[in-house]
Amino acid sequence: MSVNKNRPHLYVLPEDRANSQLANGFHLEVGHLRQMQVLEEADGWGKVLDKFKSDLVRELDANANCFTVLLIDFDGKSDRLSKAKAAIPTRLADRVFVLGVWTEPEDLKEGRTYESIGKDLATDCRDETEKAWGHELLRHNASEVGRLRTSVRPFLF
Amino acid sequence: MIRRFYVHNYRCLENFELPISGQSSILLIGKNGSGKSTIASALEVLQKIARGTNRVSDLVSPDDFPRWYALPPMRFEIEIEVSGKICRYVVAFESTNDLTELSVSEEEFTVDGTSVYFRASQQTRGQRAMPYQQDSVAFRWNLVALPIVQEKSGKDPLLVFKQWLARMLILRPMPALIDGQSKHESLEPNVQVTNFGAWFSGIVAANPAAYRKIDEYLRPVIPDFKDIQNPLIAKDVRSLVVGFSNSQGSMSVYFEDLSDGEKCFMISALVLAANEAYGPLLCFWDEPDNYLALDEVGHFVIALRQAFEKSGGQFIATSHNPEVIRRFSDETTLLLYRKNHLEPTVVRRLGELHIAGDLVGALTRGIEP
Repeated sequence: MSVNKNRPHLYVLPEDRANSQLANGFHLEVGHLRQMQVLEEADGWGKVLDKFKSDLVRELDANANCFTVLLIDFDGKSDRLSKAKAAIPTRLADRVFVLGVWTEPEDLKEGRTYESIGKDLATDCRDETEKAWGHELLRHNASEVGRLRTSVRPFLF
Repeated sequence: MIRRFYVHNYRCLENFELPISGQSSILLIGKNGSGKSTIASALEVLQKIARGTNRVSDLVSPDDFPRWYALPPMRFEIEIEVSGKICRYVVAFESTNDLTELSVSEEEFTVDGTSVYFRASQQTRGQRAMPYQQDSVAFRWNLVALPIVQEKSGKDPLLVFKQWLARMLILRPMPALIDGQSKHESLEPNVQVTNFGAWFSGIVAANPAAYRKIDEYLRPVIPDFKDIQNPLIAKDVRSLVVGFSNSQGSMSVYFEDLSDGEKCFMISALVLAANEAYGPLLCFWDEPDNYLALDEVGHFVIALRQAFEKSGGQFIATSHNPEVIRRFSDETTLLLYRKNHLEPTVVRRLGELHIAGDLVGALTRGIEP
């Protein structure tokens, strides 16, 4: 079986290949691999929301064990989070998280690989540190990361 | 871990170096005929030598030279770091007057830069203007020396190197041919893994704790998996039986009756167990997504990548499957390319190609580096 849907599990819906590689790095650090699945990239933040609404809302409604991260680029737009949140039904809001680089992942690389950055983000979640998430291009995620950590840390690590 | 793997004049590989140093996992992608499986074949040549094949005609033939010319020797070089030592092995083959068989033109094994043995034909010395070096071993030129050169002790780097090379996992499984029966134990699966039963017996005999790893991998993958037993079914013949159980009851199935995909899960479990029991290993798996359901592919690949990264081993996969391609990064994906059958294979790291937009879409349209 893919993710074990009888147990809490996390889908990550990435905007593009760069975000998918960040998610892969995160996945490589997870202890319970089958409680997480990185989905096919949506090709744009708007399409992430479209895909979320068309593919995942029904599954989230049907299964209380299902959690989802929408991994998008903020493109420096301060209203990106609120626009994304508006696409999430209130009844699912505590199981859906909107995360992403403030501009775009390329700006985060600084000579590193997306996967190694993703691993550091997972390590932060596991160890309850903020070394990677504290980066200036990621720190706007603080409240979402806090919720994510509370919800998914127990079943991923 | 492989630091350098170089092949020259072997089929489509000409002056070819696989950029794998420091990488715990690599995905090879490219069109059909681009050379992905030929890399596995080149590794198999070295593996056969380490497993004891020393007759040149059992390793390579004149047909393995590239079609368009065959003048320089066919050359294989591998450098690995194992047990804190840098071991390097070079073997080259050249044409003889007897056009049906090649002969050894050069062979050398070094440890941390110091030559353990060396030999070169007069023709090679002349062609390459080699500084004079006395051959340290003398063998017939239709025999490779590595399997025959004696190790001095159980810790001799030569033995460690040969074991590492012999135990590489080069896999292109044919599940329909795997019946789970065995007459002996082995730590060396063949390419099609038709000796799965012997491999299972060998791993568990060498390290009984390895069964725990097999069990640990299979339980989340096959939720009603119970155990694997290996009873005698005839004199000196064992046959694997896989048990399943849940709240509805239990049942046992002969290994040969498992589905092709389930057999691949079993192979993956043995790969992980072997890597833990006598690794770190190199595993080359040609199209690991074959036979797997789409929802299994990603986890299958990530589990292998994670295990080899943590152990210090190396996992190389080839694939055309979009889900496999998504589970590797731009740095860990190599694109192989050949203009036509008369041109050699070219390799490029995906990250160097700066592909804009959807990678799978670009691959579908065809990428030319």
